[in-house]
Amino acid sequence: METIAAIATPPGRGAIAIVRASGPMAGELAARLVREHLSPHYARRVEIVDERGTPLDQGVAIFAPGPHSYTGEDLLELHVHGSPVVARDVLRAMLACGARLAGPGEFTRRAFENGKMDLSAAAAVAELIEAESRAAARAALANLTGGLRAEITRLANDVEDLLERLAAAIDFPDEVSDPPRSQLQDRIESLSAELRDLLATGEVGRLVREGTTVAIVGPPNAGKSSLLNALLGEERALVSEVPGTTRDTIEESITVAGVPVRLIDTAGIHAHADRIESAGIDRTMRALEQAQIALVVIDGSQPPEEQSRNVLSLTAEHERIVFFNKADLGMTGASDINGAIIGSVFQKETLGALRAAIAHLGWNDERVDLSRPHLATVVEFDAASAALEALVHARETLEIGDPIDLIAGDLREARAALRKITGEEATEEMLDGIFARFCIGK
Amino acid sequence: MRGSDHAGVIVVGGGHAGVEAALASARLGIETLLVTGDPERICTLPCNPSIGGSAKGQIVCEIDALGGAMGLLADACGLHARFLNESKGPAVRALRAQMDKPSYARAAIAMLRAQPNLQIVAGLVEELVADSSGIRGVRCIGGETYHARRVILATGTFLGGKTFRGDVVTPEGRFGEAPAIGLSRSLRRLGFPTKRLKTGTPPRIARNSVDTTAMQMQPPSPVRLRFSYRSAMEFPGPQLACYITGTNERTHRLVRENLHRSPLYGLDLIRGIGPRYCPSIEDKVVKFAHNPTHQVFIEPEGWEEPTLYVGGFSTSLPAEVQLEMLHTLAGLEECAMVRAGYAVEYDMVPPTELNDTLETRRIGGLFHCGQLNGTSGYEEAAAQGLVAGINAARAAKGARPMRVERNRGYIGVMIDDLVTKGVDEPYRMFTSRAEYRLLLRHDNADLRLTPLGREMGSVDDAAWHAFERRRDALESALRYAGKKCIAPLLRKPEVRFADVAAMFEPALGDEIGERVAIEVKLAGYAAREAAAIARAAKIEQREIPDGFDYAKIQALSSEAREKLAARSPRTLASAARIPGITPSDVAILSVFLCRDTVHLR
Repeated sequence: METIAAIATPPGRGAIAIVRASGPMAGELAARLVREHLSPHYARRVEIVDERGTPLDQGVAIFAPGPHSYTGEDLLELHVHGSPVVARDVLRAMLACGARLAGPGEFTRRAFENGKMDLSAAAAVAELIEAESRAAARAALANLTGGLRAEITRLANDVEDLLERLAAAIDFPDEVSDPPRSQLQDRIESLSAELRDLLATGEVGRLVREGTTVAIVGPPNAGKSSLLNALLGEERALVSEVPGTTRDTIEESITVAGVPVRLIDTAGIHAHADRIESAGIDRTMRALEQAQIALVVIDGSQPPEEQSRNVLSLTAEHERIVFFNKADLGMTGASDINGAIIGSVFQKETLGALRAAIAHLGWNDERVDLSRPHLATVVEFDAASAALEALVHARETLEIGDPIDLIAGDLREARAALRKITGEEATEEMLDGIFARFCIGK
Repeated sequence: MRGSDHAGVIVVGGGHAGVEAALASARLGIETLLVTGDPERICTLPCNPSIGGSAKGQIVCEIDALGGAMGLLADACGLHARFLNESKGPAVRALRAQMDKPSYARAAIAMLRAQPNLQIVAGLVEELVADSSGIRGVRCIGGETYHARRVILATGTFLGGKTFRGDVVTPEGRFGEAPAIGLSRSLRRLGFPTKRLKTGTPPRIARNSVDTTAMQMQPPSPVRLRFSYRSAMEFPGPQLACYITGTNERTHRLVRENLHRSPLYGLDLIRGIGPRYCPSIEDKVVKFAHNPTHQVFIEPEGWEEPTLYVGGFSTSLPAEVQLEMLHTLAGLEECAMVRAGYAVEYDMVPPTELNDTLETRRIGGLFHCGQLNGTSGYEEAAAQGLVAGINAARAAKGARPMRVERNRGYIGVMIDDLVTKGVDEPYRMFTSRAEYRLLLRHDNADLRLTPLGREMGSVDDAAWHAFERRRDALESALRYAGKKCIAPLLRKPEVRFADVAAMFEPALGDEIGERVAIEVKLAGYAAREAAAIARAAKIEQREIPDGFDYAKIQALSSEAREKLAARSPRTLASAARIPGITPSDVAILSVFLCRDTVHLR
């Protein structure tokens, strides 16, 4: 039995993150990653280190030996500070020690298999499945406006049609002649092309789900927090005339053209910073690492100064938007930067231009057309990829001159994959799927 | 067999299903009694003269691999054989052979008579004798009663049979033979629901009255082709040609003008549901009005038989219209009609009444097979007969039943389809019904099923030893092909066994050589199917305990609960195949199964 590990808390930031490992190695993991001895079932505040002994975080550790644990196996839980980075580091350390990343739902599944769920728990799980399938139905309906279901159904029907033609030729050889190979080839190719288009929209689906992250950076008092507030349309960050007021990063979410965008407002990047400021600068650098896009805010009403040049050079390699703020106070800071936006956070047009720039860098703007059918979930994306792969295989089979029956298997596979998206086909992965529907580790 | 019993197993009906059932049961060493209306009229092939065809040919091979009779009988009586779908892929390549009908019936009777433990009696069964413990026997018209704890019904189209030729409605099971009316009532009294189905047969014409030069000739294979590896390599007799002609606008006009005299279209006499895939000529003209012509196949019914079968021309129009229609066909302008075509309507019992052993759930020890279960076709009937025969005999012995998985044979596909989905129209096997058809081939039926047949007791020593030799020869030839790099050559679509035959040392026979070629060519594709089977294994093998209480699962819809309780699927996969059971129903069910299994541990 392998030992599995996963982050049990939902992705994103929370007060704490829980990283969990279950299996025979859980005790060994405790010994390596936690400096102190753990008494069974007792929570203890500990220092957590990685596999080489490098400190990762202060947190809480609980070790529950099987069978008296959630999964019925030896179970280690490490509660760390709610930063995705720290949680990922802890998980990585567990994997480095020999644990395997848990599959979706695998903790629940082990709990089940070890008899850790009673009738009422099983019933609750069953009801959850039912509720989830209703939710899935609603989600499918919601996507109906985008026509995904209609689109997939049409593609599946086209595959079905091909299969029927093959079946007719095979089962009624006296009456029905073979479909010409060139025609089969053409139809498979056009189906593949449509699937490829659809898969391209999968990227849109990912964006719709995950969005993008923009780090707002710039010298103190350039108006970063004002920009954040303007984009949010409400007061959120503390704004002050004193440079360097914003001590910590502030995160907010907005939507741009329907896509969630996470904004990280950072401490001012300050050349001669005191200790607190330098911590802020570290955070800025960290924020830049996490963000897809850097939004560099510079006070355009002031002559260019060293700090502005520093920020610009720090972000030169990053996808970035350069914004010369406070142009309404008179533009003196000359801009030789291509595509820089000049304006003021108090001007609607400026905010519009910034949003457009985010959309442009984030997802090439026009590709996010939510009214078009799009693959919204990983499951859909994977299924569509599987369907395309099967079609490509069918195409190759035809090309090398193998008999027509051999493409039927591929076409059936493609059809099954597509029907998985529309929820019409029970698949062999069903049993795994049940447990995969739950958040892993829960 | 108990004190007062006449036999361990009684089989009712002497068609393809009944014959296989009786032979199989007797072969397993159980005293078996075959009750049939006329012991001289056994396996008469009352419809078309051919055995096999797409998917059906594979079924014949599977019957043979399990020790059944149909392959041997067909090989011994063939007057024309041909591989269909030769160019479409090795898995769908299917043998179809035309029979000499009189020899077929004679050979079947001879085989029954030669079988130890088997008695044949004449009798028309009109009542099933049953008590609370299950079936006890059958009572015939005239009063004779035969007792047994296992009864297999293989009544074909005789149950409540009624034939139609225009407005002439005759109570008969088939041409000139009395139907079984009482038995149908007896089943209903026992609580079985019945449904009406319909099928039909075309007219027969005088062989000496056609002009074959005006038709397209279909020559028979010059090479001997067999269903059974057990059959002789020699042709059983001269090989004859078949012919193709076609309908034309004049034929279609006659159909349209006389539609008001059709018992189906005009007179509204037929309530039974007919097969879509075997339409009458009326159906073709009505539903495919834009087709300028429909093919018609002229096939001999025997070496010496004076009649020809007019394939694709099934009709229930009045006899005189049928003759007029025949005269519009090229080559048949002067033909004499020996017997008119007709439609036949009969009772079936929904196969959802059955377990996958073909035993009814309502009456223990009672087995149903063949057209009674809503199937059509000799091959489908024979296969069910074989399974029912083996399982009735094994039940009599107290041994566990035989089951053929869907990935092991078309027989398994058929039985699972029947008992989980039921039938809405006469059920015929198609290659497209099988998920894993690359594995379900003519050439490898023995590898797939002979070991199972041996285990079940239906494969005799001679057949088993011959199988072992074939299997070993095939395996060593495959190893040789791999070692000597013949396999990569064979994998090319254009390379056939004959092209590389010289590379094998020692030389391989053509038959084994062809098998090697097929195995090699399909290896990659078959591996993909095998992987799919492995993925599906979890759900296919997840058994649902007998008497599982669906009512307690409140999360299931009441419709799902009812359906599952009514069908009692044996595995989670079968449950998933029940129409109306959704993926989420299956998910919920699996959670409960999982939990129950855990608690049982």
